[in-house]
Amino acid sequence: MSLLKVSVAFFLALKSVQNGNRFTLFLTIAIMGLVFVNLVFLPSIISGVIVNYNAQSIDYTYGNLVIEPEEQEIYISNVASLQQKVNQIPNVLGSSPRIQIGATYNYRGKTMSGSLVALTPRYDEQVTKIHTKIIDGEFLSDSDTDSIVLGATLAGNIDKTKDKTDSLGGPTVGDFVRVTFNNGVERSMKVKGILSSGVYSVDQFGFISTKEMQEVLDIGDKATLLLVKMAENGNENQDKLLLMEYGIREEIKTYDEKSGRIVKDAVTAFEIINAISTAVSLVIAIVVIFIVIFINTINKRRQIGILKAIGIHKNVIVLSYIFQVLFIATCGSIIGLILAYILVTYLNINPLVFPGGAVYPIVEAGPFIRSMIFLYLVSLISGFIPSYKTTNEPILEAIRGQA
Amino acid sequence: MILAEHISRVYSMGLVDVHALRDVSFTIDNGEFVGITGASGSGKSTLLHILGLLDTPTTGGLSINNIPVTSLSEDEKTDFRLNYLGYIFQDYALVPELSVQENVFLPAKARGMTRDEYLQKSREVLTRVGLAHRISHKQYELSGGEQQRVAIARSLINNPTILFADEPCANLDSKTSRIILDLFKQLNEEYGQTIIMVTHEEWHEEYMCRMIVLTDGQISDQRECRRVRRDPQE
Repeated sequence: MSLLKVSVAFFLALKSVQNGNRFTLFLTIAIMGLVFVNLVFLPSIISGVIVNYNAQSIDYTYGNLVIEPEEQEIYISNVASLQQKVNQIPNVLGSSPRIQIGATYNYRGKTMSGSLVALTPRYDEQVTKIHTKIIDGEFLSDSDTDSIVLGATLAGNIDKTKDKTDSLGGPTVGDFVRVTFNNGVERSMKVKGILSSGVYSVDQFGFISTKEMQEVLDIGDKATLLLVKMAENGNENQDKLLLMEYGIREEIKTYDEKSGRIVKDAVTAFEIINAISTAVSLVIAIVVIFIVIFINTINKRRQIGILKAIGIHKNVIVLSYIFQVLFIATCGSIIGLILAYILVTYLNINPLVFPGGAVYPIVEAGPFIRSMIFLYLVSLISGFIPSYKTTNEPILEAIRGQA
Repeated sequence: MILAEHISRVYSMGLVDVHALRDVSFTIDNGEFVGITGASGSGKSTLLHILGLLDTPTTGGLSINNIPVTSLSEDEKTDFRLNYLGYIFQDYALVPELSVQENVFLPAKARGMTRDEYLQKSREVLTRVGLAHRISHKQYELSGGEQQRVAIARSLINNPTILFADEPCANLDSKTSRIILDLFKQLNEEYGQTIIMVTHEEWHEEYMCRMIVLTDGQISDQRECRRVRRDPQE
């Protein structure tokens, strides 16, 4: 198509936009804007959930990598030696041995079963951030005995209605909780702190020092897990191979492998919802633009016939409608962008609270560009079809407005 | 020159074939102002549409200035209409979203005139039809007669070889009709503009050189007209 024809099509489109029905135009642009918000917003929440899940898994639960006992073994033996070996591997920032067992907690007659985690605070602080999430009291020290830090969910509240799950009924700092270890040993432990990480599983744990756990279980230099913190997040699969190359014989898992399928299934479900929502939004966009252009061309059948009669090529007329839908899509995208920005800003100030913690929407370039492309594509299709159909009518039928 | 040879046009209306034109042949010389008249359904508009390349004859041939236009493709016909033909419709057929001047210069812009050229030319033709003062007005701000004069200005902007007018005065009162017909006559006499006009008003003959009368799709009469010289101020 020559530049001259493009220029004529642009002129016709410009005049139609300038002097056509403004209410219909603004309504169409508003609908496109909302479709754009829908296309951008849900993926941003899903991105937020994934980033939140990854960050929380690394920062509060597992570190980047988790070394587990060899097959058929309950404990990692000679864990101090292993830890020293791991810490010497390039890019390893630190490692933290943990012993995790089942235990029973009792507080004022209320009994709860759960997990009890032993850690060495000076090591753990190099790997996780749980020590920063103490909401009452203080975190453990290496030499603590008969002291326990309770997760906020495990501790719960005196007022049960404030609890999301069953709890111990609100022990506070200084109270004593009776802990029964999995070997039957019972100890009365003073609550040193309450921890609230926002990660559901972490906040259900009780934490004691490794020294005390080793003493109770009489296991010496052993651990059930060795958490490893790497210099950079996101390279866990390569880091896992690196550790294997350095002769780590125990089983190594990335935080992603370790956390199982629950969150992955949730993310997959979100992605399915997003795909359905995206498809529905795009169908709405197609239908709206199709109807607007279809009604527009039907109302202008005679005008289209006249334009053809005075020598305006039909592809020029079709192109003028394409320009109009591109204008609508551009304005819709800009309005959608502004609305999405306002929504994202609001949710960054007032984040959505999921079971895994607060989720901040993250607008990524990929879904954003994809939304723009989708919007323009459906606009082009739904603008082209009705205008092409109408301009291909015989001139006299169009002029007479015959069906 | 227009040479129409044995033109027929048959419309299929379900199982029935309607013969709108039957074996129509004639010539129209350059510079003529020819009227086509006849009773309702006689085929006069069909003939005008075929001559103006808005419709295709079922059989027969048509050549304009020795170009066999019936064999042109759709795109070639569109170009031919743009470059050589001008149209004036019964109900003016202006684009409501465009101003008077924009309506007029649209065919010139489509033909490839520069901005300066089409603005100047549109002012010239609007002056010629007496609407220079209405240049930036919209269609809804004009009377019927003024709208028809805009349509005439639009049809003239590309200096068409032939001007087709399909009952241009049908929606106008007799006084306004005379203004339009005087304009046609002036174009024909002063500029040698070939004009072919469909009409069903007998008194329009006084403006024309020749009248082709159609009856049931066939030419029943062709007669020279006695032009009456009229004072446009009258």
